[in-house]
Amino acid sequence: MAFVQNFPFISILMSLFAGPISSVLNKKWAKRLNIFVIVFVGIMSASVLGFVLGTGQEYIYVMGHFAAPWGNEIRIGILEAAMALFFCVVMFLCVIGGVLEREREIEETKHNLYYIMVNLLLCSLLALIYTNDIFTAYVFVEINTISACGLIMIRQSGRTIEASMRYMIMSLLGSGLFLLGICFLYSLTGHLLMSNIKEQVALLQAAGEYHIPLLTAICLMSVGLAIKSALYPFHTWLPDAYGYSTLSSAAILSSLVSKGYIFLLIKIFYRVIGFDIIRESKVINVLFVFGIAGMIMGSVNAIRENSIQRMIAYSSVAQIGYIYMGFGLGTTAGIIASVYHILSHAATKSLLFMAASGISDASAKSKNFFDLTGAGYRNRLAGVAFTVGSLSMVGFPMFSGFISKILFAQAAWGNRNKILIAVVALAISTILNAVYFLKTVIRIYTPEKEEIVINKGFQDVTISEQPSKSVAMICLVALNLFLGLFSEPVVMLIERGLEMFA
Amino acid sequence: MSSYIMVIAVLLPMIGGALIPLLPFSKRNMMAVYIEIIVLITSALTFMLIFNRPVDAFVLFRFTGQLSISFRLDAAGSVFATILAFMWPLATLYSFEYMKHEGHEKIFFAFYTITYGITLGISMAEDIVTLYFFYEMLTLVTVPLVLHTLSREAVLATRTYLYYSLGGAAFAFIGMIFILIYGNSSNFTPGGVMDLSRMGDNTNLLLLIYVICFCGFSVKAAMCPFSGWLPKAGVAPTPVTALLHAVAVVKAGAFATMRITYFSFGTELLRGTWAQYLLLALAIFTIVFGCSRALKETHFKRRLAWSTVSNLSYILFGVLLMSPLGLAGALTHMLSHALMKITAFFCAGAVIYKTGRNYIHQLDGFGKKMPKIMVIYTISALALMGVPGLCGFTSKWYLAKAAVATMNPIGYIGVAAILVSALLTAIYMLTVTVRVFFPGKDFDYESISDVEDPNWVMILPLVIFVIVMFVVGLHPQFMTDAVSSVVAASF
Amino acid sequence: MSHEKLENSLDEKKLKKLHCIVAAVLLILVLSALYAVWSGEGSLTLFYIMDNIPIYFHVDALARVFVTVTSIVWLLAGFYAFIYMGHEGNEKRFFFFYILVYVVLIALELSGNLVTLYFFYELMTLTSMPLVLHNGSREAIMAALKYLFYSMCGAYCALFGIYFLYQYCDTLTFRAGGTLNMTLVSGNETILLISVLMMLIGFGAKAGMFPLHSWLTSAHPVAPAPASAVLSSIIVKGGVLAIIRSVYYIVGVDFIRGSFVQTAWIILTLLTVFMGSMLAYREKVFKKRLAYSTVSQVSYILFGLAMLTPEGFVGGVLHVICHAFIKCALFLAAGSFIFHTGRTRVDEYAGIGKHMNITLWCYTIASLALIGIPPMSGFISKWYLAQGALQSQTGIFRFLGPAVLLLSALLTAGYLLPVTIKGFLPGKDFIPETGEGKESECRKERLDIMNAALIILAWFSILFGVLPNPLISYVSEIAYRLFQGGIR
Repeated sequence: MAFVQNFPFISILMSLFAGPISSVLNKKWAKRLNIFVIVFVGIMSASVLGFVLGTGQEYIYVMGHFAAPWGNEIRIGILEAAMALFFCVVMFLCVIGGVLEREREIEETKHNLYYIMVNLLLCSLLALIYTNDIFTAYVFVEINTISACGLIMIRQSGRTIEASMRYMIMSLLGSGLFLLGICFLYSLTGHLLMSNIKEQVALLQAAGEYHIPLLTAICLMSVGLAIKSALYPFHTWLPDAYGYSTLSSAAILSSLVSKGYIFLLIKIFYRVIGFDIIRESKVINVLFVFGIAGMIMGSVNAIRENSIQRMIAYSSVAQIGYIYMGFGLGTTAGIIASVYHILSHAATKSLLFMAASGISDASAKSKNFFDLTGAGYRNRLAGVAFTVGSLSMVGFPMFSGFISKILFAQAAWGNRNKILIAVVALAISTILNAVYFLKTVIRIYTPEKEEIVINKGFQDVTISEQPSKSVAMICLVALNLFLGLFSEPVVMLIERGLEMFA
Repeated sequence: MSSYIMVIAVLLPMIGGALIPLLPFSKRNMMAVYIEIIVLITSALTFMLIFNRPVDAFVLFRFTGQLSISFRLDAAGSVFATILAFMWPLATLYSFEYMKHEGHEKIFFAFYTITYGITLGISMAEDIVTLYFFYEMLTLVTVPLVLHTLSREAVLATRTYLYYSLGGAAFAFIGMIFILIYGNSSNFTPGGVMDLSRMGDNTNLLLLIYVICFCGFSVKAAMCPFSGWLPKAGVAPTPVTALLHAVAVVKAGAFATMRITYFSFGTELLRGTWAQYLLLALAIFTIVFGCSRALKETHFKRRLAWSTVSNLSYILFGVLLMSPLGLAGALTHMLSHALMKITAFFCAGAVIYKTGRNYIHQLDGFGKKMPKIMVIYTISALALMGVPGLCGFTSKWYLAKAAVATMNPIGYIGVAAILVSALLTAIYMLTVTVRVFFPGKDFDYESISDVEDPNWVMILPLVIFVIVMFVVGLHPQFMTDAVSSVVAASF
Repeated sequence: MSHEKLENSLDEKKLKKLHCIVAAVLLILVLSALYAVWSGEGSLTLFYIMDNIPIYFHVDALARVFVTVTSIVWLLAGFYAFIYMGHEGNEKRFFFFYILVYVVLIALELSGNLVTLYFFYELMTLTSMPLVLHNGSREAIMAALKYLFYSMCGAYCALFGIYFLYQYCDTLTFRAGGTLNMTLVSGNETILLISVLMMLIGFGAKAGMFPLHSWLTSAHPVAPAPASAVLSSIIVKGGVLAIIRSVYYIVGVDFIRGSFVQTAWIILTLLTVFMGSMLAYREKVFKKRLAYSTVSQVSYILFGLAMLTPEGFVGGVLHVICHAFIKCALFLAAGSFIFHTGRTRVDEYAGIGKHMNITLWCYTIASLALIGIPPMSGFISKWYLAQGALQSQTGIFRFLGPAVLLLSALLTAGYLLPVTIKGFLPGKDFIPETGEGKESECRKERLDIMNAALIILAWFSILFGVLPNPLISYVSEIAYRLFQGGIR
């Protein structure tokens, strides 16, 4: 067994232990530790990815070398490793990008608390990605929920407390449903390891037994995770949670947390139930409908928003709708598109949150749409970054959104009944995206009158004033361009990863 | 001719334009010379390419195996490229004078020059993806041009423009996907690329997609339900409304519809279907609708803009006839409308530049004070009406010939619509002429004593356009020969 | 206002110079045009405006007739204008367009194919418009616009037809008997008939035929008298010529004989004849009354053509000639009245014969000719028109047509003669208006260029009535060839 193969396990443990350690460190060191962990995990994930690509084989890592059913397994394939790497990169950028905001918005004594949460979140995300045990998955789903709540709440305003309560309640409802689903599966199959469950489910399906309980289990798990990942109409917690929390929290939550659940759902589809059974179960049709509804309604709500951060939050609802629509197509191509969109959306949304905060920095910290006039001239980098993010969201060629749009549309071809609905929904959603994002772009590039700038105390922001945020923005723009221009290897990676799943 | 020259022609103005704000020009004239040189070189390259077309394609970049940015100049593309390469240097010359009173010249010329490269990219696009790519780029780089004055009106117009254009592109996108899926290749191939065996019972779906895609591209060509942006965009400086919103951008839309109809979906598949008739009906409606709106409009440039709406649908009508003659008509009208409308707009621009007057009722008696501009305007008006001897008659003749040859009632209705529109054109164009030359016997010329013709920089492009209009109208042989060879190569 | 210095008028010396130049140019043009047409059949291809359509001129007998009439009228009205335009001002512009329109008209009459004809037809509209709005009043401008747009409307209707004919004809070059390609036509007769009807209506607009006639009564009266004279006597004939060319030389009479197009055409013309006369009868403004009369009279011509018989054709062409001279005379007379008295309404002309006896006599002769009193020219043409109608196979219109023509002739008498009667015999209780500084009224008028032109025109209208035979035989020759060629 190669040493590299231990890396996933080590990275989960490392981030898990970094949490408690942070609690005794001061703010500075906690931050350093956190960043070190993220970078190190990232490097490890990269080497794991290299390893898996080299062998071309997934492998199963048994913790402590206890065989199942007593031991706990994690499974590493191309897609898992790639996801872990990508999540680390985005998280790194989100954490360094939000330094200033954290300084400003978090109480001095609570900083290390924040890093605990980030570490735990990373840990749970990694675990969700790698785990081969459905109950472990549940455990880390809960950890994930709690740390996410912490991230929201850390900025102690009434709004965030309300938002995190709401998030908590919705999330717990989701995890409850998820747990129920696991119970059903367990009683049907007697296993908790994914591969074992899949064998049993295939047998049951072949025998034609327990059709309805199985369906129920699928439904419960899908709905549970859908609630947690804010699929329309279970999205009500989202705008507040993203809209009022501190910058890095919002960026992390929108680009990573919900994606972790979605990735888990893909895993369940492929590795627990089997994609053929899912396709027959018609659950995906429900997801398709809700996905499309989300695509449209999320954007409609975003158009009505006046706060730029909440607008971006609502746009997440729409983007998650895209991903579920991809599921709903019921084809492998659809799933590939969805996974690609997870990447593209993560890169774009965190960029947008960064840029929005940069813009509002140049408008006396106001997030109100009407105060942003001319902000693109006052903070040039943020203006460009916001424009890039917007264009990517609208699906402009060269940026990542274009590729995911193409992948979705091409995937739709696989499903003759849904193709028209899917492509038309894509087009309408594109237009709606254009409406609110480009409206904002035009606004930030319309010069403001001199006296208003002085009255409201708007100040120019240079790159050197916010070095870390600027670096983060530049990196995210580069990531976006990379995904938009060199998508082929990425798509190939996803394809091979999904092949390994099945 | 080597194929990489196409890339140079496309990229040179884009890069050269992008550099304008960064270069420290000591004098305004330096900038003008720099821009004019870039534009002229590009035009020279383009003409070299047109007269000596490279055989091979040039792939600039690959997104994925299927999606790439690649260039190939074919016959139809070179018609569009000819229009651009001929007009851009002249329009730029005009702009130097005009933009003196608008300000923000660096930004303006930067985007103006970049647009040249992008429209050339559209004309040289080898496949639907490249076309789409440049089409979207075109929207983006023209936004700052519409926004130029930064007034509230301009912001609203820009928004409208943006929503319409991107919305159109979103629907065109659907068509692109279907071409990628059902086509043998994404390249533009005469006769279309649709693989009929792959279609099965999906013909109707495909037709629906064609309609959607056509509508998407025709947003830029301002077909009826999607024409609202064009008159609003008239707030932009005149060089923009003249060159972009009467020639480059809108013709790019028309050209794209031509591409998808003749080179992607293929007329074989479309001819005689409900899709053709539906779109024809829309185009015919727009022909009349645009004119009647122009008639109601009292703002000079907006009136011309509505006239553009109508005339663009002539081109779409030709495209939709889906016959060699129809394509010939569409291409001819593309050429001649470009000439006529840019001339008319430049005249309107000269009036605005010299006097700041925007409304038609303010133009009484101008014929005496700015005779050159007004005579040129009248010639362009006569051409637009389709008076024989000027280029408008020729192109309408070809369109009508194609429509009559279809032996189809909807074609006949189209002919009638073209003539009704010609009559309305006569009314809305010539009322201006009559007003400026015959203000009434009690008109007080003292009140407009400060009005005069602009200098030669503005007049020269106009004179050249007028000469070409006459040449094309009186001796259209060379143009029709060129067009028929294009058509022969496209079927 | 008649002699006060107008803003744009030139001083005496320059004016004389202008007149000399105009007279010289006009004479040269007229002579060269006459020489061109009478020196024999010939043709000229300028250049190709479309793939196989050249700008092409061809002299034939019909063109010869039209060119001759046009030249004579133009010359006379031009000389008349030298004096008349003194009170309108802006002579330079007037004469410029006056000569231009003449050139365009000659080109129109000589054109040898349909596209050339259409080309000059449009140019004729455009160049004659400035003649209409010459005085620059709001009324004149509106009338000019109306003229322009009605003509354009007509031109485009005609163009609709041309588009279709181009598809279904062997060539658009005029050929006696038509050039329709019957193999192409079969199966598409309906649309072709519709397009022919469109052409008739379209070219009919210029000739003041019913649906598009109303520009005529606005535009002709506001123009200066020489302009309205040529508009009414010649330019409307441009429409007639276009109809003859397209019906007899492109479509061919066989194709439309007996079809609904012929019926519609006859109905339209008869309607116009009757309506024009009725409205003229009711109209009180003199020049307007004459304009309505033109509407009615030109439709006589069209009626004759619509019969599609040789006699009808002969009648039509003869009436073209007669009406040209007569109507020119009438309008010039009206112009003289206005020039000398400034009065425009019919009821103000009582007693006018006392001072303007020459003019009024000329007017009377022309009136009688128009009504069709035997020794005068109108009689001959109307005779042929009626003959043509009676020999045609047009059902009820064989008799209805001549009846309407007769009725209209009565009305013509009713609206033209009262001016003469009142003018010479104002009645007992007439008190001649004096004062108001109108000394010119008190003098008996002398012979000058104006009434010289009138006298010549009046003579022409008698001449053709008295010695019609050369003319008739010439026109019959045309008709004979035309209808011979029709039998293919």
